Amino acid sequence: MKRVGKLYICVLILFTFAMSGVGQDAGLSTRQSERPNEAALADFEARVRKYTERREALESELPQLSKQATAVEIAEHKAALVKKVLADRTTAKRGDVFTRDAEKMIRSIINKHYKGRDRLELRKELVEAENKNVRVKVNGIYPESAELLEMPATLLLVLPQLPKQVRYRFVRNNLLIVDRESHMIVDHMANALR
Amino acid sequence: MRRIYLLSFVLYFAMAGSSVQCTALAQGNKGATTQDATTKAGTRVVTLPLRDGSMRVAVFGDAGRGSREQYDLGTLMEEYRQAVAFDLVLLTGDNIYGPDGPADMKKKFELPYKPMLDAGVKFYASLGNHDTSNQRFYAPFNMNGEEYYRIERNGVSFYALNSNYLDQKQLNWLTAELAKDPNSWRVAFFHHPPFSSGGRHGSDRDVRTVLHPIFVKNGVDVIFSGHDHFYERVKPQDGITYFVAGAAGKIRRGDLKDRSPITAAGFDADLSFMLVEFVGNEMYYQAISKAGNTVDSGVIKQRD
Repeated sequence: MKRVGKLYICVLILFTFAMSGVGQDAGLSTRQSERPNEAALADFEARVRKYTERREALESELPQLSKQATAVEIAEHKAALVKKVLADRTTAKRGDVFTRDAEKMIRSIINKHYKGRDRLELRKELVEAENKNVRVKVNGIYPESAELLEMPATLLLVLPQLPKQVRYRFVRNNLLIVDRESHMIVDHMANALR
Repeated sequence: MRRIYLLSFVLYFAMAGSSVQCTALAQGNKGATTQDATTKAGTRVVTLPLRDGSMRVAVFGDAGRGSREQYDLGTLMEEYRQAVAFDLVLLTGDNIYGPDGPADMKKKFELPYKPMLDAGVKFYASLGNHDTSNQRFYAPFNMNGEEYYRIERNGVSFYALNSNYLDQKQLNWLTAELAKDPNSWRVAFFHHPPFSSGGRHGSDRDVRTVLHPIFVKNGVDVIFSGHDHFYERVKPQDGITYFVAGAAGKIRRGDLKDRSPITAAGFDADLSFMLVEFVGNEMYYQAISKAGNTVDSGVIKQRD
């Protein structure tokens, strides 16, 4: 009986050690899984900043647009900005901002935020929106005549914040980053809403 | 004797009928109107009190199509301006549909409202889902380069918000501005309605989720929005009165849901715009159809 008792205690000790090891591994793997997120966020923000800083530099070469401008001045400024930015982005391609890690991070945020009926409703709204025919392409200009689909306010509060020069925008199931003034598509990711 | 009874009977029902009509208007029968008495010399008679020194404003949205209807309503607004002498207009968004180049701005804004612009009326715009951010620089919209801003007139604060893009930065700005606002009248205007009985769009729950608590907490009294192409006055929500004034360009006939529990009054049979007058702690409002009929009117007390 004593032998059985000792054996039981040994098994218990071994089991405890084994479990604590599992626990450590689990903790480690959780932290590791968070790390790419943080890294992805930092990388995403750096890539966005790289665009906005370059764009600001280009805009600063233009005459400053008055805050009380005429429609002609606004149109001229926009055309000049588009021209300059496009000339500077001849090598721009999809994924420059929405890297694979950034896409994964953003999809995860969106899908955590939208579940069940809310997700279905948003999907329906995106599919039926007036902007559904907009061609999504890096360096493409979002057409003036197309509706600017409202970005859901509660989603904006959980997505990484963007600098003032660029905006998130949905076109169908694509999430775009669009220049606020020139309406140029900086980058886009597909299947934003799973 | 029998004739007298019969006459009394007929008179009773005639009276009852008219009182039913009044009740229907007050409760928001969406087709009901009252005919304004019009006018000597082409000016319009209005139901607002028109007190000396009061603050008078016109409100409308979803106008910028350059259509015949928009021009007709613009002409009517000018007639009311001459009667009411409002010198400020709040635009609830979708001010320019489609392209917004110089020719479009002229056709869809400058020409329809030329008499008012010439008379020195100041238009203050908020951006709708058909407006581009660049319009914040357009001088006649008086946005001073900002998508959201506050103006102050006669002790009334007006907050123009950009409901297309309610990010944390904008919400922080709004909360901070309200916290230091010295005025007791606080009015916000923006495009997407937090409360609406529209079948096409209806209440924007996202906008409501983020904005309504801020309004409640910070003493905002009245909200004007557009997006749904009709007029609606919503029953007070936590003491705040929400209006939908999005019928200045194209009407969405029959879009107001019947028996909506939130509707206090509504009109979706024709284009319309609103007149508003602030007198002390009261705000008078009057919604006017393109035919010149008053489709809703009343007074709101400032929140405590």
